[in-house]
Amino acid sequence: MKNLFRKMEDEPWLFLAPALLIYAIFAIWPMIDVTMMSFQRWNGLDPERVFVGLSNYRYVLTQDAVFWTAFVNTVIWTLLSLVCPPLIGLLLALGLNQPLVGRSALRAIYYLPVIIAPIAVATMWRWMYDPFFGLFAQMLTNWGFGTSIPDFLGNRETALYWVFVAYVWQQVGFSMVLFLAGLQNVDRSLVEAAQIDGAGRWKTFRYVTMPAIMPTITIVLVLSLIQSIKAFDIVYGLTGGGPSQSTQMLALWAFTQSMQIFDFGRGGAISVILLLITVVIVIPYLRWSMKNEGRS
Amino acid sequence: MTHRKTMAGIAMLGLTTCLAVSAEAEDLNIWTLNFTSEANNNAINEIAKEFEAAHPGVKVIYTQRGVDDHKTALRVAAGSDSGPDIYFMWAGRGLGGEFVNAGLSLPLDKYYEQYGWKDSLIPTAAAFASNYEGGLHGVPYTFKGEVVYYRKDMFEKAGIAEEPKTYDELKADAEKLAAAGIPAFTFGGTVNWHVMRLMDVLLETKCGAETHDKLMSMEVSWTETPCATEAFTELKWWADNHFLKPFMGIDQAQSTNLFVAGRAAMMLEGSWFVQTLSEVTDLDNIGIFPFPTGTDRLYGFAEYHYISAKSKNPDLAAQFLDYFNSQDVQQRFLGTFTTNSVNSQVTYENQRPLDAEWGGIFEGYDQMFVNGDQAFPLAETTEYFRLINEVANDTMEPQAAAEAMQKFIDSQG
Repeated sequence: MKNLFRKMEDEPWLFLAPALLIYAIFAIWPMIDVTMMSFQRWNGLDPERVFVGLSNYRYVLTQDAVFWTAFVNTVIWTLLSLVCPPLIGLLLALGLNQPLVGRSALRAIYYLPVIIAPIAVATMWRWMYDPFFGLFAQMLTNWGFGTSIPDFLGNRETALYWVFVAYVWQQVGFSMVLFLAGLQNVDRSLVEAAQIDGAGRWKTFRYVTMPAIMPTITIVLVLSLIQSIKAFDIVYGLTGGGPSQSTQMLALWAFTQSMQIFDFGRGGAISVILLLITVVIVIPYLRWSMKNEGRS
Repeated sequence: MTHRKTMAGIAMLGLTTCLAVSAEAEDLNIWTLNFTSEANNNAINEIAKEFEAAHPGVKVIYTQRGVDDHKTALRVAAGSDSGPDIYFMWAGRGLGGEFVNAGLSLPLDKYYEQYGWKDSLIPTAAAFASNYEGGLHGVPYTFKGEVVYYRKDMFEKAGIAEEPKTYDELKADAEKLAAAGIPAFTFGGTVNWHVMRLMDVLLETKCGAETHDKLMSMEVSWTETPCATEAFTELKWWADNHFLKPFMGIDQAQSTNLFVAGRAAMMLEGSWFVQTLSEVTDLDNIGIFPFPTGTDRLYGFAEYHYISAKSKNPDLAAQFLDYFNSQDVQQRFLGTFTTNSVNSQVTYENQRPLDAEWGGIFEGYDQMFVNGDQAFPLAETTEYFRLINEVANDTMEPQAAAEAMQKFIDSQG
């Protein structure tokens, strides 16, 4: 064992190589291939891929009637994802950090949706949103609002937001768990000192707890951001991008172009655009976390 | 020494047996869908076993996948030397045509003549094989018509005495239903192809057979052919006034539930729907009539078995398909794949009245027009769906939809 550790110190590349190889084959190469494909025309059937330069990008950016809808939806979704799940997650974490009866059970219940497959969540919510026989329709009918049941997933102005509600339900537990971990690290003595000095609940939170969990807040926001840009399954399962493509997202539109229309060139171009957006967001985060790593 | 000789003898015998088996054994690979009906899945495996028993040394290997996986697998197969001997695909220029154009399907003229398929198969079902250039492609597996299913109790309540014979009569009946507080049609908007069916039959009604075909094959302009806009206008009329609402947020299964629950009077559904309804409602209360397009074509589609151009055993594959569609097999498995058989010699006995009515409908037509998503290439289909939904959802005017359709077609080059 000692020899193994010594060897690791002497030749770290030898031990990194297998993982690196797998990463190169299953992550790096597909990215390169998709990028190459975005400059080609290919339907998956023709024996040759034809180089078409920037025409896929030109089409997607100037002629595709759905791309900009998907882009705007992705931006709206991302902004909402930065606010709603983290905020609700923080409130839940603050509540469940108190000495409550059944606290552990409640934590598990709130976290449960995170481990359910998004496509299963979508199926469940689709039935709840059924405007005739669904849970919400029944509740509204029972409360006397039977004539004003909304077409949750059928109204192109609001469908995206109803899908987002299902997404929040699933994601909130994820933020909550991270915040709970952060709250465990808040120095109790500082909280008690603030309380002795006469600080109320809000001031204690604002000036003691929040600065202490700032690294956690940053991590939650960055992870929420990355996760929201990739949003796919839940939209696919609930609306499939409809009605009239009004809930399309960039990831789903890239999939539709490549795997349903089988236009791999245009699908590749959308994927590359999505990749660039993600990279622009992720690089500052990586730099920040590496800087922190260096400090510690 | 004796022991060594014995061992060598056994080894030689084993090797000879292996060689003999591999020389005789012939695999017949068939790629098809994972059918939702268990009876259907069992039937294809049973037919395979029967064929194996009649052809010693032949092994029929069925590979079943979901629709998207199946399409992807065929694309992979098209670019490699391996793949199936026979593959399932819909007929028509859209889905089936794509693989035919890519050279994955073997022309079957020789086998049509050798086995007399033109005589044994129902003409409407076999007609799709002639849709492609370069010969006859594929053999029908099933063919399905789509008509209007209606609830007799609701027609009666609205004072409708008989089934409409013309499009104008159908519209008048819709008004009578509306006056009785009954929505005429229920559709599920989340699956785009459900509302599309209405647009398909409206195009046939407003444009006639020839122009409709030209629009779908993109030989004429959607902007310069006024009937395209007229069809969108009719779609808007139906959606605005005679759809059970809301409809955009539900799928076809939810829409079926609403029809069964008596919330709407009609559905535009296929021949398979008789079985679906028989499990949940009283069939005596259900009637059917072809959508009155005014042309002599039935709305529907066919599913085909194609022999791969890369098959190493095309003769064997043709032999299997001949067996599959034979009168004997089709008679024994009648009703398993769909209501009616593709074999014209199959006889029908003890049928449910609706099935018998379907038989009459099939006999009454010798031409069909296919669903839009099977007539159009995939990219155009996606846009067609979007525009239908926009018009039905009242977020786009009919004229603008026709213009957008043509603009999209032009942008595809």
